[in-house]
Amino acid sequence: MNWKPLLCSLLIAVPTLADEFKSANALYDAGKFAEAAAAYAQLTPKSAHIYFNLGNAWFRQDKPGLALLNYERARRLAPRDPDILANLKFAQQRLGVDEVNTPAKPVVRFFRNAARSRTLAEWARYEVSALWVTLLAVAGCIWRPKWRTGFVVVAVAAALGWTAATVALVNEVTAAPEAIVLTAKAEARFAPLADATVRFTAVEGTRVAIHEDRGQWLLVERADGQQGWVPADAVTRIKE
Amino acid sequence: MRVWFAILALLTATPVFADVTAVATVDQRRIGFGDSFTYTITINGASGGLQAPNIPPVDGLQFQGPSVSTSMSWVNGQSSQAVNLTYRVTPTRLGQFTIPAAEVTVAGKTLRTEPITIAVEKNAAASTLADGLFARIQFDNQPLYLGQTAPLNIVLFVRGDVPLQGLNGFQAQADGLNYKFLDKVKQGTQVISGQNFSVLLIDGAITPTQVGKQPFGPVVIKCQLRTPKRGGNDFFDQFFNRIEVREVPLTVDPITIDVLPLPDAGRPAEFAGAVGQWKLDVTAKPTEVAIGDPITLTIRISGTGNIDLVTPPKLTGLDEFKTYDPTTKTSKNELNTAGERVIQQVLVPKSTAVKQLPEIRLSYFDPVTKTYTNAVAPPINLTVKTGTGGQSTVISAGLRVRPEEKLGQDIVYLKGDRGPAAAAVPFCATPVFWVLNFAPVVALLGGLGWKRRTDRLRGDVAYARRSRAARGARKLLATATTPDAIQQALQHYLGDRLNIPSAGITAAVAEERQLPGAVREIFEACDAARFAGMAADVAALKQRVEQVIDELETATL
Repeated sequence: MNWKPLLCSLLIAVPTLADEFKSANALYDAGKFAEAAAAYAQLTPKSAHIYFNLGNAWFRQDKPGLALLNYERARRLAPRDPDILANLKFAQQRLGVDEVNTPAKPVVRFFRNAARSRTLAEWARYEVSALWVTLLAVAGCIWRPKWRTGFVVVAVAAALGWTAATVALVNEVTAAPEAIVLTAKAEARFAPLADATVRFTAVEGTRVAIHEDRGQWLLVERADGQQGWVPADAVTRIKE
Repeated sequence: MRVWFAILALLTATPVFADVTAVATVDQRRIGFGDSFTYTITINGASGGLQAPNIPPVDGLQFQGPSVSTSMSWVNGQSSQAVNLTYRVTPTRLGQFTIPAAEVTVAGKTLRTEPITIAVEKNAAASTLADGLFARIQFDNQPLYLGQTAPLNIVLFVRGDVPLQGLNGFQAQADGLNYKFLDKVKQGTQVISGQNFSVLLIDGAITPTQVGKQPFGPVVIKCQLRTPKRGGNDFFDQFFNRIEVREVPLTVDPITIDVLPLPDAGRPAEFAGAVGQWKLDVTAKPTEVAIGDPITLTIRISGTGNIDLVTPPKLTGLDEFKTYDPTTKTSKNELNTAGERVIQQVLVPKSTAVKQLPEIRLSYFDPVTKTYTNAVAPPINLTVKTGTGGQSTVISAGLRVRPEEKLGQDIVYLKGDRGPAAAAVPFCATPVFWVLNFAPVVALLGGLGWKRRTDRLRGDVAYARRSRAARGARKLLATATTPDAIQQALQHYLGDRLNIPSAGITAAVAEERQLPGAVREIFEACDAARFAGMAADVAALKQRVEQVIDELETATL
């Protein structure tokens, strides 16, 4: 049996993932931003580029909060992509949350930016690589004592790298999940009660860390350290 | 100084004797200018409570010191002690000087020395060489104007038989004049009164800073002469070239320079102190520009005179230009008698109405013609067109003017491809990540254990034998077919296990070492089969040996 014609017909008939992506882009170019957003949202598995384009589609529909959410998701997958960073910043500026989402303390800002400059997978690869180099250098010190000085230098440098990578990795893994406020104003209260005193009001686009989840209410923390309970439907988690 | 008085205090820590006196002396009362002499205050009979002497300052004499020494003498069974405070005194001018009485306080009692008069003359040593070594100041005796730079040289004549080694600098008195001399000395020869002289010419220049009659000199040149070593034998000194270099000051007579003030008559308003002959050269590039484009105006002032007194001409009529701070570069010769100053000024025309750069003037006083002169650079025609706008332009090195531009802001356009898909499970959550983390740790620990074991096997014979005892014995036992071979296998095991020679192990040794009874029984059974010809069950014996080995492997021997 000749399978080639059948295989070719199947390939032609089933749209590829690349085709779907291009179709969504075509909708965007045609100004059909809502349809484009829906098309991007259906694409799986997700990638940084899909989130980025989805963010653009939301931005064009004047939904900067949703755009910011998707830019954040894109940044998590490609943290050094200049286009993603530019649009993320622009969306934050449009929403007026650029300052609110930035930690005030320079030290905190530095370490946060350093940790977020790599993906979780990249930190994991750095950690494994540094561990191997450290242990190989230690083995070199033991079995090749003639070159001990060189091995010690390499071992110390690699151990420092391993420590840094491990700290960043552990921090990323154990950090509280983050979310973006998508309602125009989310009132953060002292207690998970509708009539509790309002502590602060988080505007759309504010990035918060979720410390506790009680179903209808979430205990969240703003970048400046202020905490409060907000309704669960006011925010959307960045990590899907 | 504090150290010396601390030493003094230590030296004078003994009781004070009676009849304390203080005497001041000098080593010579007539000295040549350029030489120095020693001034010593001797305190006799004092050895305690001595304070620093008070010497009144003397104009024209510089005191250095004191250096402290003590001496002790015994006369008719009585001791006397003297403390000497020695100063080195250097005259700074010719004349007669009186060092007034110095006051010395010893144990609360104030003593006074006698005043001493000395005369400082033209150097006596140099006078003996006057015929063969002399110098003159070479100067054109014309009056100078304030700020004018003029050459002034020193000419040194050295007769052929004068052993001049070299010069070690010179000192000159010149309060109202700035002077500079070159380090490089020109050399030539000249015949004077039928004798050959080397002529050394030291080029120099002076610039008056005060009006009036200004003395220059006396100048003391430090000449280094080669002389035979003192106290030696002439023949041997010459043979072994034993000479020493002695510094002899050579005094040159002073001259007086008449310094005139700059005349008031005809002084231009823009005159700023430049004296000499100066030339002004002005260029501008480019001369055809658009509004906002820079024009580099270069003003070059060059000529003879002191360039440091020349200030850049003031630029006027530049209202239609945007101006930047000028840069100035100055170069001059070693004596500062000629130089060049280049001023670069960046100008940016503000409108098309600008047609030319204005005239530039530099006023200076010419000491040759004795008149004020204006060096004039004529106006430079310019063509200024309408600006193109929106472009950054480089004005000069490192200076950039960027027109203000309002940039639009928007999100970056779509990505054209899907890009790499996100992993369903992060790498750090996969088993591979944990294997890669633990594998090197396990491997390293295993390697360390193996290394430790091999090192011990290499260095510890008992441990090495004990480790291989069972394996070796079982190997022998597997091939054993006779009671004799079985006994050898057991001996081999026990020898390795106990780290003793295998051949000497018998039933008696086993009993002596308190080994299990089965060992002795095996030995006896084997002996009976070997020596008494009794039948033996080889398989049963091998099995018992196996059991004994198993038992002994876990036992502590």
